[in-house]
Amino acid sequence: MSAVLTVENYTLDYRTGWGLRRALDAVSLSIAPGEVLGLVGESGSGKSSLAWAITRSLPTNAMEAGALRLGAEDLRTASPQQLGAIRGRRIGMVFQDPSTSLNPTIRLGEQVIEVLMRHRGLDRTAASAAAEAALADVELRDPAALMRRFPHEASGGEKQRVVIATVFACDPELILFDEPTTALDVITGARILDLFGRLRARTGVAALYISHDLGLVSRVADRVAVLERGVVVEQGVPADVFRTPAHSYTRVLVAAVPRPGHRLVEDTPPATTLLTATSISVRYARKRLFRPAPPAATHAVDFDIRRGEIFGIVGESGSGKSSLARALTGLAPFTGAIDLDGRRIAAMDRPYRRAVQIVFQHPDASLNPRMRIADILSRPLRLYGGDSAEVPRVLEEVRLPASYASKFPHQLSGGEKQRVAIARAFAAKPALVICDEITAALDVSVQAQVIELLLALRRAHGTAYLFITHDLNLVRQIAHRIAVMQEGVIVETRDAADLASPDAHPYTAALLAASPAPIG
Amino acid sequence: MSDNLLRRLWRTKQGRIGAIVLGLAALLCLFGPNLAPQNPEAIDFLGRFRPPGAQNWLGADQLGRDVLSRLMTGARSTIPLALLATLLGTLAGAVIGTLSAYLGGRWDEAIMRSIDAVMAVPGLLLALLLVSSLGKGSLNAALAIAIAFTPGMARVTRSVALSVRAQDYVKAAIARGERGSFIVLREMLPNVIGPVVVETTIRVAFAVMLFATLSFLGLGAQPPASEWGLMVAEARRFVHQAPWIILAPAIAIGITAIGFNLLGDGLRDALNPRDER
Amino acid sequence: MPARWLIRRLLLVSYTVLVVSLLVFGITQVLPADAAVALLGENATPEALAAIRLRLGLNDPAWLQYLHWLGAALGGDFGTSMRTGQSVAPMMLVALSRSLLLAGFALVLMLCIAVPLGIWAALRQGKAADMVSGMISYVGVSLPEFVTATLLVICFADRLQWLPATGYIPPGEDFAGSMIRLVLPVVTVSLMMIAHVARMVRSEMIDVLHTDYIRAARLKGLSGQRVLLRHALPNALLPVITIVALDVGYLLGGIIVVEEIFAIPGIGRQLIIAINTRDLPAIQAGAMIMALTYAVANTIADMAYAALDRRIRYE
Repeated sequence: MSAVLTVENYTLDYRTGWGLRRALDAVSLSIAPGEVLGLVGESGSGKSSLAWAITRSLPTNAMEAGALRLGAEDLRTASPQQLGAIRGRRIGMVFQDPSTSLNPTIRLGEQVIEVLMRHRGLDRTAASAAAEAALADVELRDPAALMRRFPHEASGGEKQRVVIATVFACDPELILFDEPTTALDVITGARILDLFGRLRARTGVAALYISHDLGLVSRVADRVAVLERGVVVEQGVPADVFRTPAHSYTRVLVAAVPRPGHRLVEDTPPATTLLTATSISVRYARKRLFRPAPPAATHAVDFDIRRGEIFGIVGESGSGKSSLARALTGLAPFTGAIDLDGRRIAAMDRPYRRAVQIVFQHPDASLNPRMRIADILSRPLRLYGGDSAEVPRVLEEVRLPASYASKFPHQLSGGEKQRVAIARAFAAKPALVICDEITAALDVSVQAQVIELLLALRRAHGTAYLFITHDLNLVRQIAHRIAVMQEGVIVETRDAADLASPDAHPYTAALLAASPAPIG
Repeated sequence: MSDNLLRRLWRTKQGRIGAIVLGLAALLCLFGPNLAPQNPEAIDFLGRFRPPGAQNWLGADQLGRDVLSRLMTGARSTIPLALLATLLGTLAGAVIGTLSAYLGGRWDEAIMRSIDAVMAVPGLLLALLLVSSLGKGSLNAALAIAIAFTPGMARVTRSVALSVRAQDYVKAAIARGERGSFIVLREMLPNVIGPVVVETTIRVAFAVMLFATLSFLGLGAQPPASEWGLMVAEARRFVHQAPWIILAPAIAIGITAIGFNLLGDGLRDALNPRDER
Repeated sequence: MPARWLIRRLLLVSYTVLVVSLLVFGITQVLPADAAVALLGENATPEALAAIRLRLGLNDPAWLQYLHWLGAALGGDFGTSMRTGQSVAPMMLVALSRSLLLAGFALVLMLCIAVPLGIWAALRQGKAADMVSGMISYVGVSLPEFVTATLLVICFADRLQWLPATGYIPPGEDFAGSMIRLVLPVVTVSLMMIAHVARMVRSEMIDVLHTDYIRAARLKGLSGQRVLLRHALPNALLPVITIVALDVGYLLGGIIVVEEIFAIPGIGRQLIIAINTRDLPAIQAGAMIMALTYAVANTIADMAYAALDRRIRYE
């Protein structure tokens, strides 16, 4: 049985101003007909470089060695004409974000039709009919109407289905998936994966599935390969790799995957209420002369957080969970009432601002690029009656060396920056820290370290967290109670332990079904 | 930090060429009259329209004055005023733009719509109108250019300030209850300055051209000054007999403007965080 | 295009007219010129001067004068020229028609050269051709119109004697002669815009060529020609509409200088004459008409952009 794709001893370097930078180091992989190979790695592991190499779209400063073969054909020596016949026809590609991989100025239908005309030799009428059939195949309702729409007039899930329909319509030998669900909401992503499963069963296509998410890949793939800084450190059947990882890096990755069954917090917080939010509604803009008012981001949301509690809020993008965080920190206008320690907060005064701190999602944007770490940390210290002499202690608390005080943010890695942001929040000795998707921009292994740090800080200071996330598995590991938000409303609030009980809200059940626990 | 910036500026090709050109221009502005081989005002009727040669390296003009010497002294009456005009315009624009971004809401809308409306008058026309009412002369021309530049700079500053204001580190400062002055001066200003400096540098090139144009039209520097635009205007009648009188100042204006354009682009690259690491 | 959006555009144009009228009236009011003296001459008797001041309303407070002036101006009456004694509005409109001919040719020439040049430079990014076009555009944006015009005249009129140096002939009189006299002015005015727009087209094109959807189009196996013409070009040219509209401001400024140099009796030259003779009504009319031209051009560009870009949200 000959392989569909063979990567043999493939090495890739990029020429940079500072010499060669190795992206892939003697990688050998093969994909059999009908097989799905999962490729897992964190940012910088070289997984995207491999996709570029296979599709022959490397930047001009790339230097290669080794072999890349599609069937018996050598991809590295293929002429532009040969590549034109391979791309889209024999190798299909599904990208991470359908809203950037579809051309914004061309109707969706045309973007399918052009491929069918090119690769199946159809005329426009036949291609149009075939496109409609292809869109129906990916379970889109009313394909004819969708074909007349522009990408911005379709939802993310619809767009990704159009991309998948285009790929399958040409009946390729191999499909490259580059994180195809990462940019989508949890439930939409899960449906796309189900769709791929059905299409795969019907067509028997082979695929290379690239992802940072080991848990996800192990559900999709027949085999997984783990990539660490350009080197394939482990290959095997997902269940085996998961249960008995051989390489130390795989062990780190496996341990970092959040498992809802594996609680990281065992204590129960006291019953004293720390913060009560009553009827919080956030609306960003009023009606103006020529513009109708936009819909409210949250509608009359109520919740309370106990002293030292980890209170989780989960929801998909646009559910209003971040607006809630902004309201609680005085960053968004809102109506409703906030009580802290039984005191009604009329205006955001200093004691309240000190007690309630926030950490943002993007560590790059949350630290001023023109300030040294020492200046960034000494502001809250001085503001809340501390002393800049405490900066080394504050850094030590987040496990960063004191020498970092003199550095600028751009000299730090993403995880280190997020630690500084956490240190800045804790410098004020807060009672509540709002964590707004603080691990979403980080790699899994770094995420695990940041979570571990948060829990250690809580043990030391008894701080409560309002933990906002889209990752249900993660929040189920650490939160005491979880509120589920949908379209600006909290649909229910439950103890983390009985979130999965049968009487849960249908939306909660749908979210749970879309984020199954990883195998192993 | 600023050491670092200069080093990165020097590393860009545009920045290096721009810095060299403008370094020479600065030398001319400072020491031009001392370095000039002859007296720029000395009239020599026997040497009228003398072509470039050993006696007058760039030739002599209609009154026999040495073109090179006039060019070297003229740098002083061209470049510093253009620079001053741009700085004044930037300052006024930055204040209005920052204020607009800071006030936000209806005020911001009203200020920006008015700025858009004022920008419907082409820069040169606005400058012409202003000079005609202020009176002819170099200083008035510079003032007119400053006013003509203000709306554009206000727009640039505002958009930069708004994008900085939306950054999480500013939100963090607001959330922890910093004073407004701290947020504007310490958190926002250092991040706003970079792009505004780039825009200002490129605008100096426009100011040099605009200033020369006003002089050319007879509204800026007045004879017998050796301002470059005025030199071109005076030499126009003698294009046929002695094109070198006109070529020298024309090329000088072009090179100076190119210098500022190159320096601005070099600064933009040097300030771009993508070039870090 | 919803009616609400159109009304908003229209209101913005009206607001522009209002602000510009205030600006123009305000600046010209400061002019140290006495309209009565200008009309009757230096030797007029004080009684005659007082009488005409009363008749022209020159003793009224400034805001009342402004309202009178604006009311008449909105009706198309900008008063009579102090220089020629004729009504200024028709004079300026005739001059405007000549300028629009010049501006139209310059815009067409600019688009014909700048767009292909920018695309070509983007496709050859980092290669010698890109460098050369980059250097040319640096030179282009750094030469003021009066310098370009002078250099062109020295080269093509004085040395090579291919083209006439100055002069204007109405196209109705002698079409060929009229056109040949427009060549140098048109080239001069368009040069700086060519340099600027070519740079913008290049950078937009480079940005578009690096987007995911262009990568996706290539990986769908589409031909290079289709990727370029159907996928990249429309997305790269859309923002250029806005840039060209803003450049109309430079264009109008350039026209003032070029008309003065080449002795074309367009609105720019009329303005310079009016400013030099302190002809208040003519200055006001000329400035208002120019600003209105710019506002209309920008509104048309906005509408074209909205019609072409499906993503616009009609804010």
